Amino acid sequence: MSGTVVTERAVSGNGVAGNGASGNGVAEKPAISVRNLDFFYGDHKALRGISMEFSTRKVTGMIGPSGCGKSTLLRVLNRMYDLYPGQRATGEVIFDGRNIIAPGMDVNRLRARVGMVFQKPTPFPMSIYDNIAFGVKLHETPSRSEMDGRVEDVLRRVALWGEVKDRLKASATALSGGQQQRLCIARTIATRPEVVLLDEPTSALDPVSTARIEELLDELKKEFTIAIVTHNMQQAARCADQVAFFYLGELVEMDSTDRIFTAPRETRTQDYITGRFG
Amino acid sequence: MDGTSHASGEAPGAGSGGSGGHVVPDGAAGVMAAEVMVAGNGLAGEDFTGPGPARGFDGDRLFRGLVTASGIAVLALLGGIILVMVAGGMKAFSTFGPAFLVSSVWNPVTQHYGALAPVFGTIVTSTLGLLMAVPLAFGAAFWLTQMAPARLSAVVGMAVQLLAAVPSIIFGMWGFFVIVPLMARYVQPFARHWFGHVPGLGALVQGAPFGTGLLTGGIILTVMVTPFITAVMCDVFTSIPAVLKESAFGLGATRWEVMRNVILPWSSKAVVGSVVLGMGRAMGETMAVTFVIGNANKIGWSLFAPGNTIASLIALEFPESPAGSVKLSSLMALGTILMALSFLALAASRILLGFAERREGRQ
Repeated sequence: MSGTVVTERAVSGNGVAGNGASGNGVAEKPAISVRNLDFFYGDHKALRGISMEFSTRKVTGMIGPSGCGKSTLLRVLNRMYDLYPGQRATGEVIFDGRNIIAPGMDVNRLRARVGMVFQKPTPFPMSIYDNIAFGVKLHETPSRSEMDGRVEDVLRRVALWGEVKDRLKASATALSGGQQQRLCIARTIATRPEVVLLDEPTSALDPVSTARIEELLDELKKEFTIAIVTHNMQQAARCADQVAFFYLGELVEMDSTDRIFTAPRETRTQDYITGRFG
Repeated sequence: MDGTSHASGEAPGAGSGGSGGHVVPDGAAGVMAAEVMVAGNGLAGEDFTGPGPARGFDGDRLFRGLVTASGIAVLALLGGIILVMVAGGMKAFSTFGPAFLVSSVWNPVTQHYGALAPVFGTIVTSTLGLLMAVPLAFGAAFWLTQMAPARLSAVVGMAVQLLAAVPSIIFGMWGFFVIVPLMARYVQPFARHWFGHVPGLGALVQGAPFGTGLLTGGIILTVMVTPFITAVMCDVFTSIPAVLKESAFGLGATRWEVMRNVILPWSSKAVVGSVVLGMGRAMGETMAVTFVIGNANKIGWSLFAPGNTIASLIALEFPESPAGSVKLSSLMALGTILMALSFLALAASRILLGFAERREGRQ
C-alpha cells in the first residue's frame, strides 16, 4: 500500500501549495475530504485507499489512463453508484460535515448539492426551458416569474442566453452538441449545488465548443467547487488549480497543477504526462 | 499501390490501360484494384464503376429483389384483405344501408341484421380490458426495470414472456372455470350490495349473476393483454441510454420523477405503440372472450349483462351461414367494421402523439 503513504504526503503538501497560490493566507476548509476510500464493482476492487481533498472553489483535475478509477471516484462523490446493485464503497467521504457514503444519507438532496455533467451532452426530451426548470422543481417550488429569472440567469452564465432566448420552448435536442453541453451545465448549476462534477465534459465536442466550456469553468469556480475528469493533458493544465493522477485504482500523486506538470514527485506521473504510457 | 503494380504485372494483356487510366492515390484504391484482380483475373484495366461481368452470381441484385418483393407483398396483402372483406360485406351494406351500423337487431329468422350490439360489446370489453391492463402493465414494467432486484426481475420477466405466449383458448377455458364462478358468486353480489342503490352506478351492476358478461370479458382481456404490453414496455424502458437516466438522477430526481419526466417522454412513441398493439389484440380476440361474454346480442348499461363482440359473433355464427346469404355478408361487413375500428385506434394514437410532441416542443 505504498499508494496511501504517497497520498498523505501529497495532500499535506498540497495544502501549503494552495496557500501560496491563492495568496489569501487562510486555508479554507476543503469542500470534500476523501479518506481511505475503497470501491468495488462486485468483487473487483476499482479504487484502493484513496485519500484526497477537493479544495473549495477550486478546480481539481483528475487524470490517468482509462480504467484507472477517476470516473469511479467521481461517481462516488454523488452516490451515482447507488443505482447499480453490486457496487459499493467503503471508507469516508466527508461533505458538509457528514460521511456521504454512510447509510441514511438523503441521496436525492445530496445529488442536488453535488451536481454532475457527463461526457456526452444529455438534454432531456423536453424544451430548453423545461430542461432547466425540471431540476429546480425537484427541490423547490418557485413562482413562474422566479423560474423565468432563474432560467435566464443560468443560461446567461453559460453564455447560451443570446443563442436560445427566442426559442426557449423549442426542443433541447435540436441544439448543437456544444450548446447541449452548455445547457447541461446550466441545468446542473440551476439547482444551486456547492460542487460540480464534470466527467470528460468536452471529449465529445469540437475545439471551439471545448474552448467555450473551458472559459466557462474559470467563471464557475468563483462560485462552485469543481472536479473535472479529463484525458486531455492540456485541458488539465489550462483549467485545474490542482491535479490528481490516478493509476490502477490508486491515487499516485496530487499537487498544484504547476508542480504536477513541471516537477512531479513520481516517475509514473512523469511518464504519463509526457505520454510515455497511458 | 501494391495491388496495382501486381495487377499490371500479372496481366500483361490488359495492361494497356492499367497504369495510365487510374490514378491510385492511397492504399484503399490499391486494395480495390487487388480485389478486382482476384475476382476478375486480368481485368485490372477495366472500369471499376460498372457491374462486374465476371461475377457469375449477383447476390446483391437477388437480395435487393427479395427485400423489395417482401415490402410490396405487405402492401398487396393488406389491399387484398380489405378488398375481400369489403366485397363480401357489400350485400349487407346494400340490403340494410347505413341502418346496418346503428341497428342492434340480429335475427336470422327475419333475415334482419345490424352491427350495433357486437360493435358496442367490442368497444366496451376492449376499453375495460385496456383500462385495467395499461396501469397494471406500466406498474409491472416500472417495477421490473427500475426497482426489482436483478435476479427476481429475470424470473418475473421470463414469466411475463411465457404468459404472453399462452394460447388464447387456454385463457378462455381458465376464465370459464375460474373467473366466471368468481364473478357470479362474489364480485357481482358484492357490487350489487354496495353500488346497487347508488344513482348512476346502480345501472352498471344490474342483472342476474350469470358470471358471464362484458366485465368478465374485459377481465379476461386484461389478463391476456397485460403481459403483452408489459413485455413491450420493459423493452422500451431498458433501451433508454443509461447516461440520460443518470443525468436526471444526478439532479436529485427520485425513480418516479425520472420515469415520469425523462423515461416516459423519451419512450412515449413506443409506449403508445404498445398500448395500441394491445388494443388491437383486445378488439380482435375471439376464443377467450367467446367463452366468457355470454353471447347475447344486447346493449345495456350493466357491466354484468351478457353481451357479444364482433369476433365472437363471427366465430359462433360463421358455421351456420350459407354461402351467398345475407347473413354471411353481414358477418363479412362486421369484419370490415372491426378492421376499420383497429385502423381508427391506430390513427387516433398517431394524432395524440402528434399533439404531445408539439406540446413538448420537439418540432
